[in-house]
Amino acid sequence: MPDRDARQTAADRPGVAQPVPMRPVPAQPWGRILLGTVLLLVLLVAGWEEYWRAYGVRPSIANTFGLWSMQRRRIDAGEGAATVLLGDSRLYFDIHLPVWERLDGRRPIQLSFEGTAPLPALEDLAADPKFTGRLLIGVAPDVFFSGFKFRAAAVGYAHKESPSQRIGQWLSMHFIEPYFAFDDPDYALQTVLARQPWLVRVHQRLPVRKLAMTESDRNTYLWSKLETDPEYRTIVRKIWLNHMQRWDDEPPPAAALKNEKEQIERTAQAVAKLRARGVKVLFVRMPSDGAYLEFENRKYPRARTWDALLAASGVPGIYFADYPELQGYELPEWSHIKHSDAERFTGELYKVIQRDFWGPNAPGVSAKASAAR
Amino acid sequence: MVFNSLTFVVFFACVLALHALPLPWTTKKINLAVASYLFYAAWNPPFVILLWVSTVVDWYAAQGLVKAKRPTSRHAWMLLSVIANLGMLGYFKYGQFLLDNFTSLISAVGVAYHPAHYDIVLPVGISFYTFATMSYTLDVYLRRAAPAQNLLDYALFVTFFPHLVAGPIMRPTELVPQFAQPRRATGEQLRFGLALMTLGLFNKIVLADSFLASAAERVYDSDKIPGALDAWAATLAFSGQIFCDFAGYSTTAIGAALCLGFAMPDNFRFPYAAVGFSDFWRRWHITLSSWLRDYLYIPLGGNRHGARRTYAALMTTMLLGGLWHGANWTFVAWGGLHGVYLAAERVLRARFANYRPGPLAFVALGLLTYTLVNVTWVFFRAKTFGKAWIVLRGMAGQNDAAKPILATFSLFSVAAIVGGILLTHWLMRARTLESVIARAPAAAVSMIWALMAFAIIIAQGAGSAFIYFQF
Repeated sequence: MPDRDARQTAADRPGVAQPVPMRPVPAQPWGRILLGTVLLLVLLVAGWEEYWRAYGVRPSIANTFGLWSMQRRRIDAGEGAATVLLGDSRLYFDIHLPVWERLDGRRPIQLSFEGTAPLPALEDLAADPKFTGRLLIGVAPDVFFSGFKFRAAAVGYAHKESPSQRIGQWLSMHFIEPYFAFDDPDYALQTVLARQPWLVRVHQRLPVRKLAMTESDRNTYLWSKLETDPEYRTIVRKIWLNHMQRWDDEPPPAAALKNEKEQIERTAQAVAKLRARGVKVLFVRMPSDGAYLEFENRKYPRARTWDALLAASGVPGIYFADYPELQGYELPEWSHIKHSDAERFTGELYKVIQRDFWGPNAPGVSAKASAAR
Repeated sequence: MVFNSLTFVVFFACVLALHALPLPWTTKKINLAVASYLFYAAWNPPFVILLWVSTVVDWYAAQGLVKAKRPTSRHAWMLLSVIANLGMLGYFKYGQFLLDNFTSLISAVGVAYHPAHYDIVLPVGISFYTFATMSYTLDVYLRRAAPAQNLLDYALFVTFFPHLVAGPIMRPTELVPQFAQPRRATGEQLRFGLALMTLGLFNKIVLADSFLASAAERVYDSDKIPGALDAWAATLAFSGQIFCDFAGYSTTAIGAALCLGFAMPDNFRFPYAAVGFSDFWRRWHITLSSWLRDYLYIPLGGNRHGARRTYAALMTTMLLGGLWHGANWTFVAWGGLHGVYLAAERVLRARFANYRPGPLAFVALGLLTYTLVNVTWVFFRAKTFGKAWIVLRGMAGQNDAAKPILATFSLFSVAAIVGGILLTHWLMRARTLESVIARAPAAAVSMIWALMAFAIIIAQGAGSAFIYFQF
């Protein structure tokens, strides 16, 4: 039965003082309803959690802007002299922070972001006089030289993060994320539904699947499912091939070349600012393999990209192919080193850095010391 | 803080616990006021000062109005409130817009002027609380209401966190009397309030953010040229998104207030089942449309001074109503288009005064209303007139260079959700939610409530802001 007249609104009372609103509660056994709701909800959530755990998913800290901001704030909170890792997913997944800390005595600050060129965060660090430490910049050619910035908005977010967002980040990483495996963007309802085999209408870039496990200080490593599940590994490889295909199609070469030059110039400018106040900067071309390496060599030849970057910035770099100790690791999906190998790789990379660039006996340091004497 | 955040969950649990303690009523009101300031400060602490300015100015303006003997003094106190509130709104919300338009204007006459960028952050919800405080002074000025008896009750009316940043825009006569006597929710009110909050958050997190927003973004925020299917799907998606986002906020706010024992007014009444535009505005954002009617349209003369003056008042109200939504000419166009619709409807109603549509014609007129409302949403959503024109041309099937933009899943989501919204609105157009729930089996209510809560959890909303916060 229509009952609209049972509750009038301000729309029905023009030009008068509006009275205290009516807010009736429907006659229902609300105690029993709430109990039933809670029981059913617990069952549904438990079932959903169990489903994803059976798929192999385990709880992981979410790689959010808030988490990145927490690490970025360490520089403002007295750790300005720390070593900062800044790159894309390769530097992010392949450097094992506990190994680095064991060798160096200090845990580095991990500011890399997957699918994101380091330039926006690099420019942010260059503008921050509090940062005076050492900077290792990861170079994955397709991301770095295209300026791809999937999650670069983290930089702006870190500067504008509200108290409410900070509290929410803290609550989530302490009370939700460590306990629920399904709490991962790859298993969000809409993502799961969109992944179903719908009729193809538009050839879109395939979304990247879950690749890594993250800890509360952004120590991150490749998810073991990439090693143990050939089917999942194939899915991820197909995603990379899809991205390479689109990269091959667009943008047009002239625009791409212009963009590459711009990325290099802006990087050189930011690096110059950092070096002017004593920051030690080092580039590192992390390992890749298989079809990915072949694509990078073809699309971003070393002489045009890597060599040009070092020349423009006047900064040294480590190209994995030049060092035997940085080769021979297993990269299940061609782009990232498997977890156990990443621990070994971190140790080897650290040794190379200390031996050749940052250590007390590094050639550059020795030469400077000699010159000073 | 936003309702769809963990921070709010913890905050609200603390407020509920505090409100349930056996404390004196004045202490409980102080607790609520402090909690509301914390709620607002969680965005940006310094903006609480603006809230205080708006509160204090209108408190003293109303006191002055009561004591004033001469009409000119009354006018002066009223103007103080209007100028202070609109001045604040103008400075923070329309400063850049005015500067840009001034620059364009003088460069059109050959004067080159390059002002510095107006780098000011818009305080969240400023449009809402300035309207709420102005209604207090204006009600006293218009002798519709007496001023509040004490500053605490009035300050709590302004800052009460459920309505503070995105409405419903409360009138003092709706809320201040509720602070006079001790209030605490009954068990039934608390549980129903929680159910309403779940419904509101389901609308926002699941329907608006997770399924509809991306379809609108892919078309409206890209350089691609949409064809008829994509342009219509994106616009329909936005019509659903903005309803679920804003009605979702209002429902959550109403539920939160009810959990504390307070009643807030309806802000939406199934608007997409409206037949005609006067009907639409009696159903859409009711507290704003009635505010504009009571404090702008009627003072401008309303329909009491002949046809020409009526249409002028109508257009002025709708144009300013459009501008209230955002500092961009596209919002003015949105309001203007609604003004034209309302004026046209007024003409048609006068000409066909005896016409009573049959059931089919009634539904057809409803669908026509919804279609024309969607045309206005194009101007609301598009950031520029150029983009609006491209989408409108797409909707008319006139974009020859169009290529498919939306994936099949997006099209399916939009069709299912927007179709569901339309159907629900038509089934509910003469009902209230409460009356339908009262007739439903308890087990069904439990199941629907649990499914909505489950969907909220597994959609993993990332605490994105409500669209209306920017207004």
